[in-house]
Amino acid sequence: MAVLESKEPQRVVWWPRIRHWYDVNNCANTLPKRYGGLYLDEVYKDLDATPREVWIGGLFGGGEYAGEIALATREGSDVEVWVKPAKGLYNGTSGDFTVTRYVTPVGEMRQVARRTEEGTSSYPVEHFLKDQESIGVYKYVLEHREYEFDWQRYRWGEKRYGDQIYPKAAIEREPILRLVIGMMGLNRTVIWLWKHPQEMEGLMELMLQDLEKQIEAYAGTPVVELCMPSNTHESLCSPSQFRKYMIPHLQRIADKAHATGKYLSSHWDGFVKSLLPLLKETELDGLECVTPKPQGDLTLEEMKKYIIDEGKFLRDGMPAVLFTKHHTVKELETFTRQILDTLGGSGRLQLGVSDMVPANADIERVRLVGKIIEEWNEGRFG
Amino acid sequence: MTEKPERVLEKIRNSILNFDVEGVKSASLEAMSAGITAGRIIEAMGEAMGLVGKKYEAGEYFVPELIMAGETMKEGLGVLKPYMGDEPQGTLGTAVVATVLGDLHDIGKNIFITLLNAAGFKVVDLGVDVPAGKIVDAARISDAAIIGLSALLTTNLDQIPLVIEELERAGLRKKVKVIVGGATVTEAFAKEIGVDGYAKEAVTGVEICKKWVKQS
Repeated sequence: MAVLESKEPQRVVWWPRIRHWYDVNNCANTLPKRYGGLYLDEVYKDLDATPREVWIGGLFGGGEYAGEIALATREGSDVEVWVKPAKGLYNGTSGDFTVTRYVTPVGEMRQVARRTEEGTSSYPVEHFLKDQESIGVYKYVLEHREYEFDWQRYRWGEKRYGDQIYPKAAIEREPILRLVIGMMGLNRTVIWLWKHPQEMEGLMELMLQDLEKQIEAYAGTPVVELCMPSNTHESLCSPSQFRKYMIPHLQRIADKAHATGKYLSSHWDGFVKSLLPLLKETELDGLECVTPKPQGDLTLEEMKKYIIDEGKFLRDGMPAVLFTKHHTVKELETFTRQILDTLGGSGRLQLGVSDMVPANADIERVRLVGKIIEEWNEGRFG
Repeated sequence: MTEKPERVLEKIRNSILNFDVEGVKSASLEAMSAGITAGRIIEAMGEAMGLVGKKYEAGEYFVPELIMAGETMKEGLGVLKPYMGDEPQGTLGTAVVATVLGDLHDIGKNIFITLLNAAGFKVVDLGVDVPAGKIVDAARISDAAIIGLSALLTTNLDQIPLVIEELERAGLRKKVKVIVGGATVTEAFAKEIGVDGYAKEAVTGVEICKKWVKQS
């Protein structure tokens, strides 16, 4: 909390995301023996790290909290949503798929998502938005969608984690990235924005209103920070698009979040060197997951200049690749001390892994970083 | 070349660099009226795409700009189609083109296909995320002489040698030439895995394919 509030620098928190590592190894039966049968939060406890996104919907749809409280979404009364799993071939590619179909009075739209090999994640191979008709359907869905804060989930999480973390919640991505990554795909989004600007601006206005509805649903709740899982990357949103769409949209979203008493952050996990100098114009309070070299394209000094020195907070910052055998333990130790020395004294750092601990990571390295932070905290803050 | 034709070709190049669809269409028509062949116009478009690639490398353009430039060129090619009667598609043989398994990037692949088509190749476009077996099956079924592979992610580069292995297993290695490209593919890597051709840019790739056809 002190990090969000920009208070006097306190101890740096070690807050890595290890759910992906846990899910994949748990499914493949390759968890270290000592973790056999343990839940993720018990693994966090063993590693002496602060829990983060422990359930986030759960691999098979469990409850959630640990900082990522979802909203309950209610579609319009005449909107039907049909979901079915499908195994086999899609477009000549085999795999496990999930087909989602929206049926509305103005037409239908369909998405096919392919599950990754480990089955722990999925990505769209056929997007919902393909043409004028499906855009019309999506507009209808957005106009009739409502959100409600899920108090039941919150109470469950508060009981379990309330003394360890502050309530952080997710809202949707900014319209352009929601289109590129989730709804329409990169090629089609770029071409439609370019060739049908009015149609797309109308759609993005509804998407902004949808985000505002999400923020309103958090009003009066204990949630402190709203984070957009934007996955910002300059290949998905170039600097010119960032100036044209992201900055005005983020300003509007931030105004709404701040008026509701929430901090607003965004997840930038791609190459962002050309975008980071534009951060100051966004009114975001902080960034998550910004990735320095050798994995990302930024130096620690650039991160300090464009994030910390601009009064924003940073969550994460440890390149995930340093937790794998591709880099030595010595490199990991050196980097950890560098990032602490460069950014840790500002009071605006929540240290975590950018983006998350990989499935092939040596989990003992997570413990090692925790120990280095502890030593550094002792030396710095006593 | 006289001053006017060169000026018209420059208009075409600038239109692509500035994503000006109407500009590329009108300049292409103007070029045809000035007696410039469709082949030379397409070459100028390819040159513009080369410049777009350089701007990308310099950090001036990004992927969205590559998409718009590719789309602008496609619109320009559309105008030329009725005038390309003497250059029917498929006369240079068939090429199978795909982005390898695990990789969903298709911009470079699509530009390559557009240029191959314009040059007179029949192209079987397998799309993205294509397994090695499917690529070789398509080459056998379509009697292709060329396979073009694109990979943008380093994690998927190991799919390219798999295609070579599959071709050998199918007894097609001597018959089918393989050309590779994509941001992460390097000439050294191409040599190491034993493919027949490597191209940093789509225009160069098409030239290599044309050379192979002439040699055969």
